[in-house]
Amino acid sequence: MPLLTAATPSVRRREVAAPADDLGQAALVGRRRPLQWVVAIAGVVVLAMLVNTLLTNPRFEWQVVGDYLFSNAILRGLVLTLWLTAAVMVSGYLLGIAVAALRLSDNAVLRSVSFGFVWFVRSVPPLVQLLFWFELASLYPRLSLGIPFGPEFVSVQTAHLLSAVAAAYVALTIDVAAFASEIIRGGILSVDRGQTEAADSLGLSRARTFRRVVLPQAMPAIIPASGNLLIGMLKATSLVSVIAVQDLLGATELIYNDNFKVIPLLIVATLWYLLLTSLLSVLQFGLERRFSRGTRRADRPSLPAVWRSNLPVFPHRRPRAGR
Amino acid sequence: MAGSVRIRNLHKSFAGQEVLHGIDLDFAAGSVTVILGPSGSGKSTLLRCINHLESPDAGYVEVGDEIVGYRRDGHRLRERSPREVARQRSRIGMVFQQFNLFGHQTAAQNIMEGQLASGVPSDQARKRASELLARVGLAGRENAYPSALSGGQQQRVAIARALATDPDLILFDEPTSALDPELVGEVLAVIRDLADSGITLVIVTHEIGFAREVADKVIFVDHGRVVESGSPAAVLDHTENDRARTFLSAVL
Ligand SMILES: Nc1ncnc2c1ncn2[C@@H]1O[C@H](COP(=O)(O)OP(=O)(O)O)[C@@H](O)[C@H]1O
Ligand SMILES: [Mg+2]
Repeated sequence: MPLLTAATPSVRRREVAAPADDLGQAALVGRRRPLQWVVAIAGVVVLAMLVNTLLTNPRFEWQVVGDYLFSNAILRGLVLTLWLTAAVMVSGYLLGIAVAALRLSDNAVLRSVSFGFVWFVRSVPPLVQLLFWFELASLYPRLSLGIPFGPEFVSVQTAHLLSAVAAAYVALTIDVAAFASEIIRGGILSVDRGQTEAADSLGLSRARTFRRVVLPQAMPAIIPASGNLLIGMLKATSLVSVIAVQDLLGATELIYNDNFKVIPLLIVATLWYLLLTSLLSVLQFGLERRFSRGTRRADRPSLPAVWRSNLPVFPHRRPRAGR
Repeated sequence: MAGSVRIRNLHKSFAGQEVLHGIDLDFAAGSVTVILGPSGSGKSTLLRCINHLESPDAGYVEVGDEIVGYRRDGHRLRERSPREVARQRSRIGMVFQQFNLFGHQTAAQNIMEGQLASGVPSDQARKRASELLARVGLAGRENAYPSALSGGQQQRVAIARALATDPDLILFDEPTSALDPELVGEVLAVIRDLADSGITLVIVTHEIGFAREVADKVIFVDHGRVVESGSPAAVLDHTENDRARTFLSAVL
């Protein structure tokens, strides 16, 4: 207040001409953001250039993209990618929870087993693991269960044990389990010890404490990293095309090996991966909101609100995106 | 007697450092005991040994007619299974300095959790949660999350949670130490109301006035030993022990 009255009339802006006493009633408006406009316009120009080249460069062959986008072979590949990813993630996480539990147990032997498993699986490239499981038959033509150096109880021919898809399922499940166990362990360690002690003091069993108290509170730490893993795995399933499994990428390869339309067919695969990843990102956003109950982040804005707030050109109160 | 406590020769070390050097104590069923002592003297460790959040290195704690965490096996004490320990703990409530309410659950859900674990149907557990909230002066706050409650309110929910499984004994570890001064009274009032309920109360606190008012027995712990034990008047006003005197003159 004293600052305003001290200002000389000549430097006073017209907007603050209202008598000093009325300032308490003055409308509060947002800051002017000229730079935001510049950035927005520059962005629009770059986007327009991108769209222009995509549409006018004939080598993208959008006609071909359109022809194959919904073709049967591609859709069959898509379905295989989807269910392989889903199956691998579900079994990988179940195994991962077990591995994390072993790692956190009081039993030193179990802890070492868990550590060794994670160390080994994370050290070997997934492609190598995939080929290993696929070539299992040449390594061990017969697998048998029995006493070492003693009698055998059961024995099977490995040639018929794992088909290409089964080898992919086993190899990727093991890969997911190793990474998931570390994500889960990190989440569990992030929950305050007082929560476990309070649950113990109420007489909850260990399993119940984990399920009802620790896991729900570990979820905010587990979900973002798991979203990464899931999306990574959606794309990593394309590894299986090397063992001739017709997933989304495998299906496109088969077609362009035939007709040499490489770019348009890769665009077909890319468009599908983009769509799937977008859907998964929305799913992750929803899960994060669901599990932030009871925290200060619980009143985080909905997804449409975040998007609206990130359109820079409309001045309005902005809910902050992210944290 | 359900709720009576008997502690014999209790020893506990952390990393080779002995924290409790052989504690012998008896609390009668339904009595109120206040434990005093300087910071680091082993009060929390003593309480946590009573419900087996810490396992003793020697000695035992008996609540009612069962040894907590162990069972007699000839001349030895053999560790109980986690399931049995959980059953024993459901008869022993605990209230923590930092409240430790489950952050992802509402006040009512916090109070229901222990009941659900011991098999109470959920509508019954919910009804009891509402009754207990009313009893601690929080009627109608069933759906509040801990983050939306003041410290005093959170601690009262924690007390309701400890009461929900009908314990014979409740342990309080500095229940008002994390609270702003003006919120201490509301929590002490709730504990005071429990004094004649027949539940055995063991309270670690620095609230001397409160101890004088509600305690049947006051215990002074120093360096992992019980150095004074007796009626509030005997320990608070007429102690012969130098350390206890120094401590009392500091906190009064
Ligand atoms: N989990 C633990 N690990 C190592 N030292 C501990 C642990 N808990 C307590 N202590 C030590 O034991 C001593 C007694 O602690 P505590 O029982 O918390 O004292 P008080 O509650 O009387 O302040 C302290 O020296 C403390 O550092
Ligand atoms: Mg303490």
